[in-house]
Amino acid sequence: MASDTEFPCLLVISVPFPDTRLASSALRAIEVDQELSPLVRRSMSLAGPGLDGKDGAVNGSDKRDLSILKVEYRATTNRMLRVAVNGFMESLGVVVGVMQELDVDVLEADEQKS
Amino acid sequence: MIAIGLEGSANKLGVGLIRHPPKGGPAQILANIRHTYNSPPGEGFLPKDTAKHHRSWVVNLVKQALKEAGVSAADVDCICYTKGPGMGAPLQSAAIAARMLSLLWDKPLVGVNHCVGHIEMGREITGANNPVVLYVSGGNTQVIAYAEQRYRIFGEALDIAVGNCLDRFARTLEIPNDPAPGYNIEQLAKKGKHLLDLPYTVKGMDCSFSGILASIDVLAAQLKANPNQTDALTGEPITAADLCFSLQETVFAMLVEITERAMAHVGSNQVLVVGGVGCNERLQEMMGLMAKDRGGSVYATDERFCIDNGIMIAHAGLLAYRTGCQTALNDSTCTQRYRTDEVLVKWRD
Repeated sequence: MASDTEFPCLLVISVPFPDTRLASSALRAIEVDQELSPLVRRSMSLAGPGLDGKDGAVNGSDKRDLSILKVEYRATTNRMLRVAVNGFMESLGVVVGVMQELDVDVLEADEQKS
Repeated sequence: MIAIGLEGSANKLGVGLIRHPPKGGPAQILANIRHTYNSPPGEGFLPKDTAKHHRSWVVNLVKQALKEAGVSAADVDCICYTKGPGMGAPLQSAAIAARMLSLLWDKPLVGVNHCVGHIEMGREITGANNPVVLYVSGGNTQVIAYAEQRYRIFGEALDIAVGNCLDRFARTLEIPNDPAPGYNIEQLAKKGKHLLDLPYTVKGMDCSFSGILASIDVLAAQLKANPNQTDALTGEPITAADLCFSLQETVFAMLVEITERAMAHVGSNQVLVVGGVGCNERLQEMMGLMAKDRGGSVYATDERFCIDNGIMIAHAGLLAYRTGCQTALNDSTCTQRYRTDEVLVKWRD
């Protein structure tokens, strides 16, 4: 576990997805690529909506509904943090694009339309 | 069986869908589309910009390819992607899309070696039996022959690829990069006729191009400083077209020599030329003359398959998949260095 003094610059990003399947796919696709820089540490996990203590209201859904992709970046400098987070956002963009246009249900719906 | 292939190792993003009929027979190309990132004249394509281009086009291209092929996610048996070699960030842009497709469609992934993709597509399209392969592109220059389930590298460029030499000279002359710098050099070379002195650097089975590039850059600078230069023999003015002509004649002769050396070594008289530089008609002509002298022939494909494309990745990937190969999600990384002979060619004896 990286110590806070070595990697003082921290950013936590929580990306909400419609369901666990999508959040989990995003995590599994992105985590394959290791961080290129030794000055950056990344850890990813799934979280449930309302379970991160922000607000107590759980919207009645199953507590196993882990539809939030939580990514924690730690870096030695703010610059390295920005570089790493930019990279993550770029990958996330592709991930979301594939979900939006190429998921099984989307393709079926498109086919029925045409 | 049907495979989708995603290719993004350089500045071309290609998506292809291929079908291998169940009872054998030629492969059917269901879709093969590509979008190229061209940098402005005088510049080369940089990894960051190229990756950005691939990320913004990959979803559209996959969607369009599926539509053209009339194929649904369920019809696809495996998702093939270029594992390497190539440029890191662009490779990753395509790989991450491939991983997402694999997860959402619940289909296996197959990582493919880019060079093997070129070779297998060349074999499929031309029907060449067991040729010596000359793989020449902006990123690779290799002479390859098949032996015992591996594509063995008999000779290669020691420093930069021949296509890189041509592309960088196009930058020196500030020739447009659209549709491809090499193509534009080829057209300009057709108007040249004076053969200028350049180093000829074949080293046994290998060759080297950085010295030639340095020399032709010097000639270009001299021509720019003194546009009224004339050819020593004929007294006619020397032009940029003559520089392009001289460069092509020199490097292509070198490629013909090392290819011939490999052919003599393995006792083959067939040559298959693949890779972007393989589109060059002058190279095909020179190679053809050599092969004919040996009682053989040259096989080449057109720009749909010569230039980086997705269908070759789908094809090579499906060949591997049918022998039981697939890439686990956690192994679906990309690598900039991936030797052609690292691949076990299980689908051939």
